[in-house]
Amino acid sequence: MTSRLKRKLNDLGVDTQSSKATENFCLDVRDEKGRRRLHGAFTGGFSAGYFNTVGSKEGWTPSTFVSSRAERAKQQAARPEDFMDEEDLAELRESRQLVDENEEMTFADTEAELRKRQGLEADQQEDSITAALADALAPPPTESAGARILMKMGWRPGQGVGPRLTYEQRKAQDRTLGFASNEDDAEHEAKKHMYARRDTPVLTAARKDNAHGLGYTPGMSLNESLGVGGMKGPSGPRLAFGFGLGALNEAEEDDLDIYDGSMGPRGHSRVAYDALEDDDRIDMGSSSRPGNQGRAGPRASSSTSTQTFADGTPVLKGFVLFPEPVVLQNDQFPFPEIPKGWKPNPHRVWDVDKNKENIDVAMREKGAQPPKTRAEWKESLLSADQRGSLLGETPLPSQPRSVFDYLSQKDRERLQNVRGNIALPADQKVSMPPPPPPSEPQPPYIPGQIHIPHIHPSVAKAALHGFQPFTADPVKQSRYTAFLHYASQTSADSSPSSIGIGPMPDQTNDEFNKELSDYAKSATVFKPLSGAMAGRFTSSKILEMGPNIVEGLHTPDVRTTPEPDENGQIGKEGEEKRDEDPRRGAVRMGMYGPLTREVKPWQPARLLCKRFGVKEPEIEMTDADADARKAGEVDKSGTTTSPLAPLKTITEGLENKPELAETSSSVTRNLANVGLGEDETQGRDILTYERPSMDVFKAIFASDDEDSDEEDKENKHMDEEDHIPYFSSSMPDTAEMSQTEPTTTQLPATAKVTEPAATTEKVDLATFKPTFVPRADREARKDKSSDKKKDKKKSSKPALVSFDDEEGGLQVSIAASRRRKHKDEKDGERKKKKRKEKEKTAEEEDEGMWEEAPPPEVVKKMDMGGVTATPPVLDEQMPVDDAEKPAGPQRGRARAVDFM
Amino acid sequence: MAPSRGPNALARTLHTTLANHKGPVHVARYAKGTSKYVLTGGQDRTVRLWNPSSGAEIKVYAAHGYEVLSISVSHDNSKFTSSGGDRSVFLWDVTTGATIRRISGHMGKINAVEFNEDASVIASGSYDATVRLWDIRSQNRQPVQVLDEARDAIQTLYVGHGIIMAGSVDEYVRTYDLRMGQLREDYIGYPVTSVVPSQDEHTYLVTTLDSHVRLMDATTGKMLNDFTGHSIESYRCRSCFDHGEASVICGDENGQVWAWDLLDATPLPPNPPPRVHDKVITWVEHHPTEDGEMITASADGTVKVWRHPAS
Repeated sequence: MTSRLKRKLNDLGVDTQSSKATENFCLDVRDEKGRRRLHGAFTGGFSAGYFNTVGSKEGWTPSTFVSSRAERAKQQAARPEDFMDEEDLAELRESRQLVDENEEMTFADTEAELRKRQGLEADQQEDSITAALADALAPPPTESAGARILMKMGWRPGQGVGPRLTYEQRKAQDRTLGFASNEDDAEHEAKKHMYARRDTPVLTAARKDNAHGLGYTPGMSLNESLGVGGMKGPSGPRLAFGFGLGALNEAEEDDLDIYDGSMGPRGHSRVAYDALEDDDRIDMGSSSRPGNQGRAGPRASSSTSTQTFADGTPVLKGFVLFPEPVVLQNDQFPFPEIPKGWKPNPHRVWDVDKNKENIDVAMREKGAQPPKTRAEWKESLLSADQRGSLLGETPLPSQPRSVFDYLSQKDRERLQNVRGNIALPADQKVSMPPPPPPSEPQPPYIPGQIHIPHIHPSVAKAALHGFQPFTADPVKQSRYTAFLHYASQTSADSSPSSIGIGPMPDQTNDEFNKELSDYAKSATVFKPLSGAMAGRFTSSKILEMGPNIVEGLHTPDVRTTPEPDENGQIGKEGEEKRDEDPRRGAVRMGMYGPLTREVKPWQPARLLCKRFGVKEPEIEMTDADADARKAGEVDKSGTTTSPLAPLKTITEGLENKPELAETSSSVTRNLANVGLGEDETQGRDILTYERPSMDVFKAIFASDDEDSDEEDKENKHMDEEDHIPYFSSSMPDTAEMSQTEPTTTQLPATAKVTEPAATTEKVDLATFKPTFVPRADREARKDKSSDKKKDKKKSSKPALVSFDDEEGGLQVSIAASRRRKHKDEKDGERKKKKRKEKEKTAEEEDEGMWEEAPPPEVVKKMDMGGVTATPPVLDEQMPVDDAEKPAGPQRGRARAVDFM
Repeated sequence: MAPSRGPNALARTLHTTLANHKGPVHVARYAKGTSKYVLTGGQDRTVRLWNPSSGAEIKVYAAHGYEVLSISVSHDNSKFTSSGGDRSVFLWDVTTGATIRRISGHMGKINAVEFNEDASVIASGSYDATVRLWDIRSQNRQPVQVLDEARDAIQTLYVGHGIIMAGSVDEYVRTYDLRMGQLREDYIGYPVTSVVPSQDEHTYLVTTLDSHVRLMDATTGKMLNDFTGHSIESYRCRSCFDHGEASVICGDENGQVWAWDLLDATPLPPNPPPRVHDKVITWVEHHPTEDGEMITASADGTVKVWRHPAS
């Protein structure tokens, strides 16, 4: 038990010696310092830390110290607080009390000043002594240390800081600061004493909390602010006339001119501190010299007749008011004399000059065109190039090469196609495009003449394919297309006769012009979408012949009956309608059949045929079809929406153009140009590759011990690779073709003929497909033609794994055994197969790839029984039905097949 | 062939009602093989697998974000595909209930989806007027081919062996013949809602929005028979053959199930048929192998299984 514990226990009145005390003492646990360790659940529980220490059970953990060259500056010295426990820290906190904790730092001088200011407002005659008395009577404010120090040095509240002054000095200061001096006192007595300085007033600038401009007084009229009628004396706004006083010139009472040393109307104004040393000191500010010479001069006059501006503002010290008021420049001119009886008539002015902007007034009365829009106006302007070409300037020789030079020929062509399908001659240099033909300057608009709006040919061409806005009105539609045709011709002259349509009989030229401009507008609006957006929309192909809606009030008019124009397109429309009729009529009468059926060639994708297990059909498609199909397969960006039927006939020439361009550029595929991305000229210069001679290969790759036999083989191999489409016997293909193809199709008759064995070498061009046959087999076949059977059996296996080249001309037949699975071949085919089987010629066996499976039992049975007269479908369908489900419907029932 | 003794009476006794769908049921398909199960898809964005004989719902396939408009089951019943308003075709694994693939590419909701025979190609017909053929054996995300001849929304599809038939709102039934490389466009004259060929694919049933079901000859395009009496004017309804193709069944917009003799096009008794659904019957499908069972799906949220009365 430490001595400290003992002492604490003694303080508590516990006798450590007595045995009685031990019982009490043992009830609560205390540490060696005598503090209670356990406080009980209701009195606080354990105290913090480990046994009231700041450590832990493991003891004091020393702080680790790691120093390195990089961060040696982080060494921190241990502070005494680090070693203190909570008691010591609490003691430390207690000892750290600020001295002036409870003192308020108030500025006594300011308070006194404020009070004085308020007091002086009421009583101007109150002097400093009264103020000092009032200060003394008022409860003394709490003072700051500085104030206390100053007071010890003799300063009192209400006085200025600094050494005391003589009477003269004080009076000078009074004058400087603008205090009222009471000169009635006996001066001689007063001169005996030294006086404290005047207090330095604190500058308080009023907050500017309005949004007016500087120097503006709200509520002032214009004349007042200009000083014209401001003869109101001192009560007027204190704005300087002619001179602004800036921020200090607000018409509030505490914003008087602080630099004005003269006696204001109130006799006292607050003054900035002015350090006066003696009589002949240097003036700070603009105060005049006090005393001797100060009395003379303007100062003297100001003391007697206080110079103020017209609005009562005192004039700045040192400034003299100009005797005559400044006359403001009045910029107003007197109105001219208006003759009597005059009435305004603007048309007199407007009609004087026809070139003025009001010229359209007259036009509009006659129903002329509205003024141009901005876009039209811009279009009508010439570009710099156009102007240059008009003037005959030669284009600059050092024109930078354009991007087009770096494009391949193919891309250039595509770009050209995109740009309005204008086929550029291939030899034309694209880098220096000829300056565009100067868009013939818009002829000056003459009312009453036909004026054909200009639209770009590409736009017109596109609009021909796009949405037709006037389908409801056939006449208008025909005129619209005629206009577009006219506009799509690049070399069209702008004479009105070439447009093909003229104004209608009851149409004035102006109305016709309006119509044409409408067409031009709708052509630009309804041209089809280009690029990626086009693929997202499917345009409706159903002709909408809605009711002809005439805007405005209904007036019975001759125009509602369509009249044929000179092109006679009405007749075409009618024809088209009659063309449409039969199909509809057939439907109405229930005469479905040839009238309602349309059969087109359709090329399924190769992979699709593979997945469906169907041999790819060979259809002779026209080039256009093939192109369309290609486009459909690759991407659907093209807008191949066919326009209306009558337009088709008109636009045939237009539509054919791109197709022709495409077909002309498409070159037959072969191995040489298969990877060139349809650009046969691509890389022609860099891909001129000559195969090095065999010696080079041998020198590099062949090892020394290779004998000449190997070389021979290699040579042969190379040769064969050069002729890859090896014309092997194509008999399997023809046979297979004849079986898979429906017998009634348009397949050439030669394909269906099963060739005899002798003509194995004869190639049927209609069905021929080059087939890979391993070289070894080929050689073997060449050598032993007598042993064909065995070889073919061997070769059948590699043929099964032959591959299918998607792009090129290599078509390798799919294994024949797969074909056999399709059971729903036509019956005729099956029979043909039968026949073939019966023949069992050596040639059949020869076609190693064709492994004929034994025919299904049903078929065999039928064949034996000679049931050749059964309907072609039944013998395929019925037995299956019966075999699968004996409990099915009765045989005698009607079925769908009964119609066949 | 012996004269027709007339088709069997239609199974008109209600066996069970499958009523877990909330909202209209758009499609109900039998599984392949012995067809012990039924898959239904509806407006509630789920596909449900049912046992029609017990009426128990076996599984719910929920991944669609929009309504399910079409379902097709693969030949081995291991997968099925569904499509609907979310513009992509979902390929499902039946047992795990997870989507194997989600094929996107259509621009509009997909009204019809169909497997081919060995479930290697999915054909999907959409509101964007295209039929897209997807190869699901390869990982290629692009369609094998796009059939864009239609000028309006594709409503129904049939994929047979070597042919693809698409019925469209533009009043055409288009038959794409892969063998012959032909596209046969049959002008029906009214928006087509369903095309169901007979088993031999020589004839097909066309349901149109003029309240007609027509039996067309696939080879010539002639109309063989015309079935009327019902009313289908604005909803997609499907008609089908009964078992044995002796009669034609069609549900209509009044909730009646009509049946006609295939040959003489007379409605089978009872005529007019009783009203069995509260709303339009969207789908009628006869059991592919059994005679006396068929299902009808309706916009009233129920799928009903019909059988002959147990005697």
